[in-house]
Amino acid sequence: MRLNEIPVEGIPYDQLKIEKIPCAPAYAERAPELVSAGSRTVVVNPNRTCMPLGAMWAVLGVHGAIPFVQGAQGCATYVRYTFCRVFKEPATIATASFHEDAAVFGGRRNLVEGLRNLVVRYHPEVIGVVTTCSSEIIGDDMVSFIKLARAQLRQEIGPEQADRIEIVLVNTPSFAGSHLEGYDRASRAFVENMATVRDKPNGKVNIIPGLLYPGDIREIKHLLRHMGVEGIVLFDISDPLDAPLRPPQKFPYEPPGGTPAEQIRDMANSLATFALLPHAGQAGARYLERKYGVRAVVGPPPVGVQGTDQFLRTLSAVTGQPVPESLLDERGRLIDSLADTFHHTMMKKVAVMGDPDVVLGVTRFALEMGLEPVALAGGTASKTFTRDMSVILKEAGFTGDPLLLNGGDLFEFEEYLKKLPRLDLIIGNSKAVDIAKELQVPLVRTGFPVYDRFGYQKRAVVGYRGGEILLTEIVNSILGYQYPDDRTHQL
Amino acid sequence: MPMVKMKCDESIPERDKHIYQTEADKSIIPSCNIATLPGDMTERGCAFAGARGVIGGPISDIIAMVHAPVGCAWYTWGTRRHLSDLYPWALPGRLANAAFNRRYCVVTDMQEKDVVFGGMKKLEKSCLEAIRLFPEAKGLIIFTTCTTGLIGDDVQAVARQIEQKTGLLTFTAESPGCSGVSQSKGHHDFNTQFYRQVHALRERRPELKMRGEEKTPYDVCLIGDYNMDWDLKVVKPLFEKIGVRIVAVFSGNERIENLVKMPDVRLNVVHCQRSAEYIAEMEQDGYAIPFIRCSLYGIHQTSKALRETAAFFGLQERAEQVIAEELARVEKSLAFYREKLQGKRVAIYVGGPRVWHWIKLMEELGMTVVAGACTFAHADDYAKINARAQAGMLVIDAPNEFEIEEMLLETKPDLFLTGLKEKYLGRKMGIPTVNSHSYEKGPYAGFAGMINFARDLYQGIYAPVWRFQWGINTVRGEENAVE
Repeated sequence: MRLNEIPVEGIPYDQLKIEKIPCAPAYAERAPELVSAGSRTVVVNPNRTCMPLGAMWAVLGVHGAIPFVQGAQGCATYVRYTFCRVFKEPATIATASFHEDAAVFGGRRNLVEGLRNLVVRYHPEVIGVVTTCSSEIIGDDMVSFIKLARAQLRQEIGPEQADRIEIVLVNTPSFAGSHLEGYDRASRAFVENMATVRDKPNGKVNIIPGLLYPGDIREIKHLLRHMGVEGIVLFDISDPLDAPLRPPQKFPYEPPGGTPAEQIRDMANSLATFALLPHAGQAGARYLERKYGVRAVVGPPPVGVQGTDQFLRTLSAVTGQPVPESLLDERGRLIDSLADTFHHTMMKKVAVMGDPDVVLGVTRFALEMGLEPVALAGGTASKTFTRDMSVILKEAGFTGDPLLLNGGDLFEFEEYLKKLPRLDLIIGNSKAVDIAKELQVPLVRTGFPVYDRFGYQKRAVVGYRGGEILLTEIVNSILGYQYPDDRTHQL
Repeated sequence: MPMVKMKCDESIPERDKHIYQTEADKSIIPSCNIATLPGDMTERGCAFAGARGVIGGPISDIIAMVHAPVGCAWYTWGTRRHLSDLYPWALPGRLANAAFNRRYCVVTDMQEKDVVFGGMKKLEKSCLEAIRLFPEAKGLIIFTTCTTGLIGDDVQAVARQIEQKTGLLTFTAESPGCSGVSQSKGHHDFNTQFYRQVHALRERRPELKMRGEEKTPYDVCLIGDYNMDWDLKVVKPLFEKIGVRIVAVFSGNERIENLVKMPDVRLNVVHCQRSAEYIAEMEQDGYAIPFIRCSLYGIHQTSKALRETAAFFGLQERAEQVIAEELARVEKSLAFYREKLQGKRVAIYVGGPRVWHWIKLMEELGMTVVAGACTFAHADDYAKINARAQAGMLVIDAPNEFEIEEMLLETKPDLFLTGLKEKYLGRKMGIPTVNSHSYEKGPYAGFAGMINFARDLYQGIYAPVWRFQWGINTVRGEENAVE
């Protein structure tokens, strides 16, 4: 037998001829009494991840800051891995490298030596100490460890330099909440530790974006610029996690941008704090309101027409700045796009999954497009999700009865979708890709995490322009999946 | 002193003993497999990653029950590209989009109250439910993590109960993230625990052993191949063509039933000698099964592996025939890449063994490895590097981010072979990278895979982007350097 030559292009995937072998002779329904997450103990395909991730995300958005993870190496490495997959960027995160001795004797040595080693080599301006399951279970007394570490640093590098470093502790035991809670706790920890003085009003507004992508944060800044409003974006990952390739790089690599420490210190002087995604950021906003009377504006996510309208209206009320023509034009363009596309979107059945705030924001926009939600899965259980969602559905006059999953898992979500008579589209993150492919419907990617496609982290879905991007993606997905090409010559 | 002092390590001299330059007539072994310096920006992962991600993950038909809060399971859900061909049904007449081992993420989701009161009940309930939900699973492995390790859940007791109640093959892999110094501990844990549990299982249920009439004189086990990007698709047929039968692969795309039959083979062929030689050694001691070490990367090494395996069974002639056929298939393309890659210098930073696996392969393509670094290598890995490397190669044990940068700045490689976390750092420095853990577009192993590998190396170096990176006034190409 003569074997085929391997061409210079290598062996293409489709020529590997991988035969898919079924696990079982035929399809059988999953045990119906165990489909609903509420009826079982085991979690299958979680729609959320762990608390430290949210805190690390936050710290990476601070200029010159580095997260220091008090735990086993995996707690830092897995999260770095995730960030690299999502952002296609390096993510610098330090770890206390817990081994057995830390589990037995506690993590004091790891923290004290670890902070020392980090500081003398990296010279960070801010360190976010992020705890983990292990350090919380061992019961590490982090506050006194940090004091000790600082005392030793004062000896080694001098008090002036040592005291200049902000060390912010964020307690994030993963068994007590999801990644959103981690971000939320970080927002509170950072303002509590750093925004400690309210002296002279700065006329600015604070923005705590939540787990929004660089493209979204750039869009929020664009809105602020056009409103003539100066903003402080806390945890501004837009530059650190979407950095230009412009060698030669500084050594060691230091990601550009991030929120400067002095801006965080100034946050108590602002007019208001906007926590755009309530579950990730409202703790910081509420703290500033309680402690310094800085008005907290919590949500709604500035997605779609009404979400962005509401954001700009409140921003205008807070600052006294009118919404300028330029933004009204942007709004008009989004409205124009809606007018041009509703024939393709109305009455289409959509399922949305992801973090609860993303699901809320996107569903509201979907309703504005005339899409009909059939299943809405917020991955992190929330006290407000169900209530807020029914308000949105009511506001749109939507009379359907979509499945609302508050927490739960994606197994329940997919089993529900499989039984639906009709589904046209899923909007959600990369964790829904298998479901979408199996149901042969398009997946419009948004939210965290998106790792199986390029560029989603660079594009906005917030604001009017972000709305147009999301709308374009939704409409083109429907056209691509459902319309024969000879109909698309004239839309 | 042959050790190398890096500038970035001035304030942490503990690192010096991990870094050296190879010498022609001496094998220098650095400090390795020891505790990481806290806060040194290590790239290491945890023992759980080694057990769950590397070895447990590729097994195709088991429920991987992660006994932990949700994160540990979420991060190991379909991330590594250890592919499989065993698919669950999605709908009537339609298979799922991902193989069973990557399609479902199963976790006990430990909550605060479980941490306080213990998680064994929750684990037992979760296992029983998962078994009902996934009747297609042929086994279940319980993985512990920091949380469940620290609170001291007796998962072995739970596993025994599950097996008694359901009859399903149930194993445990106790490898909490904070045990050991790196993911290597997790490999070791999995090897030892799995070996012991399989041994006990075969005593308990002898019907699971391979029956006498099923055995052939040519039965082997391929140990330490995880089917990254379908490596097995190009590797397995080579062995089959020379006439040996691969009874089980530990653990790429393998069924649990075959893994239980591992002790029934005549020879073990060990590919990854870091993560899986343990089990080969234990089988040598326990079942008198000899093993040979091999590398399945590159023409020379793959040929050698086939020749040595064949020699054990007296199949040399067929091996020569297979090697000749395979060479003929790749000759032309290989020559193309050899010409393009001649003289290029590479740095490799991987987990451990791939540094030495690939030194020869790079030489076959006319390239030189100028620097190598390993996350979790042990002394024997460094001995193997030394045996293969040219003198003057910079070697770093358990490097951290700063050392990797300095390594790249000092050695100025044309290409950086590394994992996902570091590849973006390399790119920011203007150095092309190739994902060497899950590959860019594999398979990379064997003869045919070598062309894929060479192609990805070539694409790395010759991508047009690198000519434009120096700013709007400068274009640097291969031939022209315009200032």
